[in-house]
Amino acid sequence: MKNNEKRSLRRDPGRLLSSTVMLFFFSAFLLLFLKDYAWQAAALAVAVPAMIWLGVNLLPRLFPADKLLLSLTNFLCALGVLVLYATNPDYAYQQATYYGVGLVAMVVCIYLVRIIKHWKLPVLLLMPVSLALLALPLLIGRETNGAKNWFYVGSLSVQPSEIVKLSLLLIISYFMSRRRLLPWLIFAVGCLGLLMLQKDLGTALMYYGVTLMLFYASSNNLLLTGVGLAGGAGAAVLGYKMFAHVKKRVAIWQNPWSDYDNAGYQIVQSLMAIASGGIFGMGLGLGYPQTIPVYHTDFIFSVICEQFGVIFGLCVLLMYVAIIWRGATTAMAARTSFHGLLAMGATLMIGLQTFVIIGGVIKLIPLTGVTMPFVSYGGTSLVSSMCLVGLLQGVASLNEDDLNEDTRLAMLGSQEGMQ
Amino acid sequence: MKQQRYLFKILALIMFGLFLLLAVYGGYSISTYGNRWFSFSRNPRVRAQKQTVIAGDILDRNGIVLATTVDGQRVYQQNEESRRAVVHLLGDSQGQVSNGVETFQTSYLYGFQTPLGERVSTLLAGETRRGDNVTLTIDSQLCTEIVRFFDRHSLTRGKRGAAVVMNYKTGELIASISLPNFDPMNITEATKADAGQPFWNRATQSVYPPGSSFKIITTVSALDNIPSVTGQEIACTGGLTVMNQTIHDYGGAIHEKLTLREAFKKSCNNVYAYIAQTLGDEKLRKTAESFGFNDNFLFRDLVVENSTYPTTNRNEFEIATTGIGQSALTATPMHMCMVAAAIANDGVMMEPRLLMNVQSAAGSTRATFQSKVYRTALSAENAATLQSYMRDVVKSGTGTSAAVPGLAICGKTGSAESSLSGSAMTYGWFIGYIENDDLPYAVSVLVESIEDGEGGGSTAAPIAADIFTYLKGAPSP
Repeated sequence: MKNNEKRSLRRDPGRLLSSTVMLFFFSAFLLLFLKDYAWQAAALAVAVPAMIWLGVNLLPRLFPADKLLLSLTNFLCALGVLVLYATNPDYAYQQATYYGVGLVAMVVCIYLVRIIKHWKLPVLLLMPVSLALLALPLLIGRETNGAKNWFYVGSLSVQPSEIVKLSLLLIISYFMSRRRLLPWLIFAVGCLGLLMLQKDLGTALMYYGVTLMLFYASSNNLLLTGVGLAGGAGAAVLGYKMFAHVKKRVAIWQNPWSDYDNAGYQIVQSLMAIASGGIFGMGLGLGYPQTIPVYHTDFIFSVICEQFGVIFGLCVLLMYVAIIWRGATTAMAARTSFHGLLAMGATLMIGLQTFVIIGGVIKLIPLTGVTMPFVSYGGTSLVSSMCLVGLLQGVASLNEDDLNEDTRLAMLGSQEGMQ
Repeated sequence: MKQQRYLFKILALIMFGLFLLLAVYGGYSISTYGNRWFSFSRNPRVRAQKQTVIAGDILDRNGIVLATTVDGQRVYQQNEESRRAVVHLLGDSQGQVSNGVETFQTSYLYGFQTPLGERVSTLLAGETRRGDNVTLTIDSQLCTEIVRFFDRHSLTRGKRGAAVVMNYKTGELIASISLPNFDPMNITEATKADAGQPFWNRATQSVYPPGSSFKIITTVSALDNIPSVTGQEIACTGGLTVMNQTIHDYGGAIHEKLTLREAFKKSCNNVYAYIAQTLGDEKLRKTAESFGFNDNFLFRDLVVENSTYPTTNRNEFEIATTGIGQSALTATPMHMCMVAAAIANDGVMMEPRLLMNVQSAAGSTRATFQSKVYRTALSAENAATLQSYMRDVVKSGTGTSAAVPGLAICGKTGSAESSLSGSAMTYGWFIGYIENDDLPYAVSVLVESIEDGEGGGSTAAPIAADIFTYLKGAPSP
């Protein structure tokens, strides 16, 4: 019995990891509870590890799933809740709810990928619906930070570009796997055009990057990929010349310190926070992360670095790298071109989005307001990131099914051979 | 499918590359700029820490306490004259002076570097945490004396200016003063409104045209680029006309035929403008850049304004006047001290240092610091030539008033003009050093708005002589 347990632990690194992760969050919230004895912290100390347990250990009983990937994504989601609680508890309660919703959405996505065998009808339906969704903020949206990419349903704010991300992947994977250029190209260009009109350049950059990379993988046509790359660069230059707020962002990026009280304020505060954290951080709940504007969405990585230190920030980067690694492995093991492209697309979407926002807050590239997947505050963002993982997990579970089927057939074959 | 799998692998590698870029860039910028970002005066964390931590002491190299905390108040030296002399180095508790030790070394003074174990034990003992004590390489006595030297001579009394003394072998800063100064314990509205801008550190923050002191660099460039330049005689007619503008010599002198050595000794503008024209912009700029012009100074202990060799609006006249240290050339007194130090140190320019060591309040050593080479500015051979030229300047050239009996002094004077704010202003420069292994000190003195007819030789050089005399009597490093 004991031996058995040991063996199962060894076979399943995800399980050991998830136990460690649960312990980490239990003690972290307990620490915050001891600070001011708020019952909410105690509640989260139980609820968050419980959700991780649900997400990592219960889900795989429904269908075969990649446990390492589950552990990593659940860790990042819980990290978001933790950091938000340490900075502004109200955000944390909402984020914990979104986390739960995200888990459900992930399961739904996994089932959709497993059940739907014929994607033609859903894809054809999704195309007009997505474009209409993306056009909505232009009609009834609100402008924040120069970009007009939100609208409200009642009191709920919705960012359609986060939802359309998913349909974009389905649509381009479907048509690319069937070698049909025109439909996805028209759709992608339409999306990019609408995003440009909303001045949501960070999201446009992600859409563009993922589409181009998937095109390269599906066609192996370096020449056309190069043309696409040149077109993108041309559009970037055009965008720089046309939009005043793009020019301003680039100027701030080049030297935020020249105007630290106004235009450069955000990035200066971010850099100061990271530098103040140093290698090991100021400590959970300490420091002054609230002085960074939009610390809960765009700049949450700076908050993580201030509280836990640069070392921990690097670990978070490594976790995203591990997610990309697992995602690429899943894509490579996929049995059909469509599933491969879908898995790779989801992986690239998560990876590029992380690169764009972290690169922005550490001043590697100009800052564009996208969220940090899984961690940033925001319902649409968290749920859509979880859906991306759902697509990925769906493909992974299909791979696993196929592998089991192969083994069964092989065993049958060898038994027959023996007879 | 097989091909797609292979391309997926490539895409994954591209993503890994992007994340590697994030990690490398992040690590690089934090390690390079981290302390500058952190100690930025607008950082609210520092302000908050001041409420909970007792700031550590600042001491000079002889153990004199320059700043300490008494009952939560920052207190500087008892003697007003002494505390005024080092105020720009130290900064003040209000943060009026930028990048003084008080702000730039916040991470030590306010205990941000205290290990966790110590923090916990002070917390458990219920004591208020103390920051670390910082010992500087400065001789505060000398700083006080230099301010007096300015006051001693009639030509520099009441003038604005700056002086820097450093050890040219180690880069240790021995003194650095800026005039006018102010009393950190009595900052009034009048101090803030003073037209002399007393908060401004003229040694490190202000850039001036280096004037003839730049001829050191023009000479090095000539030695490198013009074959057998030391054997040639160059004519000085008293006025070199370039693009219909005439470059005159100081005092309207006509030197006729001069060797390079004589031209350097007499600081002949004609010859040096001619040399600059012969060299051309490219070569002269290369030499200036090897001395650190146009570099982004990122010294560990000091924030020094960058020096510039102009790269725009370069016509023949501008190039000719660059050779005599005018045009749009700018440098700080700190950097010009490093230039003299590089000649003295056989071509090797040391990074200026201000921190000797850091100790915890309990007395254990927190950090010690090593000297570091900033760059090799010139060859040892050229340095030897310049050393003999600079010896001549003090022996029988424009810098005779920097001479001190019993010491081998080398140097270069400079009188630079600027007309940036409409009215013309002349600056007096002297940069030089003691040629003595036991007294390895380089000096840079700058006096602002000197009287008509005066130059660096009559204003800055006597102050340098006073400094050298003081150093002769001081214990060796």
